[in-house]
Amino acid sequence: MRGSSAPTETVVIAVKTAKTTHRNTIFVEAARVLAHDAYAGDQYILRVHAPRCAQHATPGSFAHLQCDPQLPMRRPLSIMRTSGSDGWVEFLYRAVGTGTRLLAQRKVGDDISLLGPIGRHFEPDQTRSRPLLIGGGVGIPPMVFLAEWLHRHQPHKQPLVLMGSETPFPFTPQRSAIDVGGVPAEASTAMPLLEQWRIASRLASQQKFAGCYQGYVTQLAAHWLDALTPPQRKDVEIFACGPHPMLAATAKLAQRYGIACQVSLEEFMACAVGGCAGCVVPVNTPAGPAMKRVCVDGPVFDATSVFF
Amino acid sequence: MSDDVSDLLAVEFCGMRLATPLVLLSGCVGFGEEYTRVDGFSNRDVGAVCLKGTTLAPRLGNPPHRVYETPLGMLNAIGLQNPGARHVVDEILPKLDFAETRFIANVSGSTVEEYEEVTRIFDDSPIDAIEINISCPNVKEGGVAFGNDPDMSARVVAACRKITDKPLITKLSPNQTDIAENARRCIEAGTDAFAVINTLMGMAVDIESRTPFIGNNQGGLSGPAIKPIALLKVHQVYQVCRTHDIPIIGQGGILTAHDALEFIIAGASTVGIGTALFYDPLVCPKINAGIADYLRRHRLANVQQLVGSLVLHEATKKVCV
Ligand SMILES: Cc1cc2nc3c(=O)[nH]c(=O)nc-3n(C[C@H](O)[C@H](O)[C@H](O)COP(=O)(O)OP(=O)(O)OC[C@H]3O[C@@H](n4cnc5c(N)ncnc54)[C@H](O)[C@@H]3O)c2cc1C
Ligand SMILES: Cc1cc2nc3c(=O)[nH]c(=O)nc-3n(C[C@H](O)[C@H](O)[C@H](O)COP(=O)(O)O)c2cc1C
Ligand code: FES
Repeated sequence: MRGSSAPTETVVIAVKTAKTTHRNTIFVEAARVLAHDAYAGDQYILRVHAPRCAQHATPGSFAHLQCDPQLPMRRPLSIMRTSGSDGWVEFLYRAVGTGTRLLAQRKVGDDISLLGPIGRHFEPDQTRSRPLLIGGGVGIPPMVFLAEWLHRHQPHKQPLVLMGSETPFPFTPQRSAIDVGGVPAEASTAMPLLEQWRIASRLASQQKFAGCYQGYVTQLAAHWLDALTPPQRKDVEIFACGPHPMLAATAKLAQRYGIACQVSLEEFMACAVGGCAGCVVPVNTPAGPAMKRVCVDGPVFDATSVFF
Repeated sequence: MSDDVSDLLAVEFCGMRLATPLVLLSGCVGFGEEYTRVDGFSNRDVGAVCLKGTTLAPRLGNPPHRVYETPLGMLNAIGLQNPGARHVVDEILPKLDFAETRFIANVSGSTVEEYEEVTRIFDDSPIDAIEINISCPNVKEGGVAFGNDPDMSARVVAACRKITDKPLITKLSPNQTDIAENARRCIEAGTDAFAVINTLMGMAVDIESRTPFIGNNQGGLSGPAIKPIALLKVHQVYQVCRTHDIPIIGQGGILTAHDALEFIIAGASTVGIGTALFYDPLVCPKINAGIADYLRRHRLANVQQLVGSLVLHEATKKVCV
């Protein structure tokens, strides 16, 4: 897909050329907590002041946060939103274990050591006008970032964002004012922020949440894809982040419809700058099987190289 | 760094002048350029950088998960993922800036012949020194299997010694009964220096799935959790080294200047920084500054004056040595 002859637009504003190498592209900042709000299901939205990370972050990139100075390993979290002008970065995370539970205790005014932005971002193809963004659970953040980026930089496109969650969403779903063909009528609500940007979104859950499609987010995606005409489908490309089974289902869906698909992966990380090879995943390359580092070779990979 | 700080921190190591006593440890900094991604990080802040363990043929390494956090430490089982010695010498070394620091190869193998071949390839390269890794706990053959057997350790060292005149550093395993005896044998076999210690073998279990967290089942433990063990091992190896003027790169859990000074006092001429980078990628200049402060405070002209200055309590002297 990325090997196709269609020109792809580069998302990063200040890419360093291969010649000048990757030096000085990741920043260490004492990030002051500006807001830290708890949501159902142990979810938190954290906003910190980290102006250099905010300025250089791109959709799909993440930060490596020191949840507590005593912990040997930082924890990777995707960047959900940034403001270059106000210098903040926002995360959405779920407290699941030692590190994220300690992070949840950090209060407004505290400083958290932040390393970022890190990683290869999603690469939207300039020529495909129907990006389909699929986010599952705490895989939602990079999808919000990509949606905001599309809203600002490629407003001519018609993105659709589909989000799945088994715990209540960390926002109050609102009735959507944007029509989306093909999706079942029960999926009537959307994420308010995306509505503001006039970007269509729909929600899915196995739980009986009002206004949500009851089922997997990938099933909801299949409804939408089925309703498109073949030429319309040629205009689609998929971006996904979420639990591994969701990504595998998304990759299968993309393959079934012959659609290009980029996925963001997770793996345990020590350094997050490419030094330890601790975060690798098996990936197929033209040269044969390889172990690629999620931190700097990813986290975004071509779905076919990971799943087939 | 100002001139007087440079003079305080510079150390002689195997005939090389190192800018500071800090050495970035093998496996933590890839092939030398990875950490330069971090703004404010510089290879100039350290005396030397040890490259990732390298074998003759390329290796894909172990399946995930490869790293797992434990109390004040972490387990790793990378499995020596590397592109092979030829690729490192032909493609990677030419891109390194040898004006910034010294680069040390970390040589691994599953047979004595493989150690020889890899050493030969690095001998014919601009690399500044060669570290023989006979202590990797994460590969099935060679590695720690050689390092825990003094006969095999000496054979590997003697074989590599025949091939190169570059400084030869032997990296010792803590997973053995008598590290001092092993050191003695390696000195006889011709090593110029030691790295003490590599990681300790360990495990962590996921009680839900009842499987080890680490894909390789077991891994090497590093970080502050191993510091007291590492210090004692450095002290023990130093007792053998002092009479032969053989320097030690002390390592295992060093996070601060205070930790580094403990190792130097116990007998290390230089100190390794590995897991500490995962806490704080910009830790090196802080450790340099702390060491320089200490030297000034104690009116010492350089690091060398502090090496092995440990004063043992009379009562325990006999048992310790
Ligand atoms: C690139 C990337 C982006 C991520 N973005 C988000 C996000 O936006 N929101 C969110 O809630 N979570 C995100 N995660 C997952 C998050 O990093 C883990 O939930 C977190 O590390 C768990 O740490 P813990 O100490 O609380 O859990 P524990 O289970 O106690 O962790 C034990 C160890 O395993 C590691 N670990 C466990 N689960 C994961 C995992 N899924 N991914 C990586 N390491 C793990 C931890 O880092 C730690 O070293 C992301 C992961 C990656 C790799
Ligand atoms: C992720 C990781 C990879 C490592 N890989 C190697 C290696 O390839 N060769 C080697 O000799 N030691 C390797 N080591 C061991 C370190 O070089 C060092 O000896 C050890 O981690 C103790 O120091 P520390 O506690 O400061 O990290 C590795 C350690 C870590 C954490
Ligand atoms: S976490 Fe160290 S290489 Fe990715």
